[in-house]
Amino acid sequence: MEEPVDTATAILASAAVLLRERTFDDVSYRALADEVGISERTIYRQYPTRAHLLAALSNWIEQTCLPLPPFVTVSDFRAAVHERFRAFDASPAYAYVGARASAISPTIDTEPAFITRAIEAMLDVEAPMLNRRDRRRVAASLRYFSSAMFWARLRTSFDLDAGEICDAFDHAVDTVLARLPDATWAKP
Amino acid sequence: MTAPALSGTQAAILAAYAELIEELGSDDVSYRVIARRAGIAERTVFRNYPTRVDLLLATAAWIEATLFAREESASIFDIPLAIRDAMERYDARPELAHVVAETAMRGVSGASPSPGREQLERLLNAEVPSLDAEQRRAIIAALSHLDSVGTWVTFRREFGMDRRDIADAAAWAAEAVLDGIRDRVAPQRDA
Repeated sequence: MEEPVDTATAILASAAVLLRERTFDDVSYRALADEVGISERTIYRQYPTRAHLLAALSNWIEQTCLPLPPFVTVSDFRAAVHERFRAFDASPAYAYVGARASAISPTIDTEPAFITRAIEAMLDVEAPMLNRRDRRRVAASLRYFSSAMFWARLRTSFDLDAGEICDAFDHAVDTVLARLPDATWAKP
Repeated sequence: MTAPALSGTQAAILAAYAELIEELGSDDVSYRVIARRAGIAERTVFRNYPTRVDLLLATAAWIEATLFAREESASIFDIPLAIRDAMERYDARPELAHVVAETAMRGVSGASPSPGREQLERLLNAEVPSLDAEQRRAIIAALSHLDSVGTWVTFRREFGMDRRDIADAAAWAAEAVLDGIRDRVAPQRDA
């Protein structure tokens, strides 16, 4: 048997359960309190605003339900993002929470997401001759095209499924990387 | 982008709410405070926007159409310039930029994550008509994504970029997307 989890985590786990039947906007503190079996005040103590709850919930879902496969090379990166987009398609409610949480004004000192650091590390290895500004432009572009926001935008306004979103992602990665001269890439 | 037709009362409510978001953040603004700022009765706010989601969706659309409005681009190849300008505008109103970004990502009907999509499609069809459906979709998707406030939020938050670096990187990425079609442009009659 696992140890009982702390209150903060229990709240997030219950919120994730409620997300299966309603949107985040409809997960009230009242309903959450009933679900966990604690008082509404206890939830407010942990998460003073809905933005705090959203940020924490998104982190928890990402770590527990949607872990990012590790990657070192560009082709691993593509595969990892494809896997993620397919996981988003399987749990759209979770993916929208991630997309929303990444759009809000940060509630706490937010560290860059793991995927941001992983993309930077990948570029250091794969394109060691890249100048600083281009490396940042490439990293930022790849990061943004691999985000839950990209998935959410293509699903909501373009009505695309995971396979089509992966194709659009691959196309975007191709166009970004095509801007880099051959000489900046590591020789195999 | 077309602004939704609003009554004078609605415009006053949305303007008041946007003002209050900049002063207080989006979480703490009650209907009563919005009503007082707009100089109307609280029940008038409820009648026009029965739920907070209704109010947020309308406010985000109003902000996009007014404070973040951009000039129509004459060419798809002008889009990187429009994106650069848009990033500067978001940077001047960070609280509102976050609200618009978050609202677009709700995944509910009424949220419009890509308000500029129709214009992009029109320009691309006119200037580069020879693309197949999949190529067209990939380019419109990539440009719609870059031409949005999500770009500003992500570049700032994940990379700590300032206004100038965000504008530069967003325009650079859009140029990269356009690189693939520079050799496909149809002759323009009235060029």
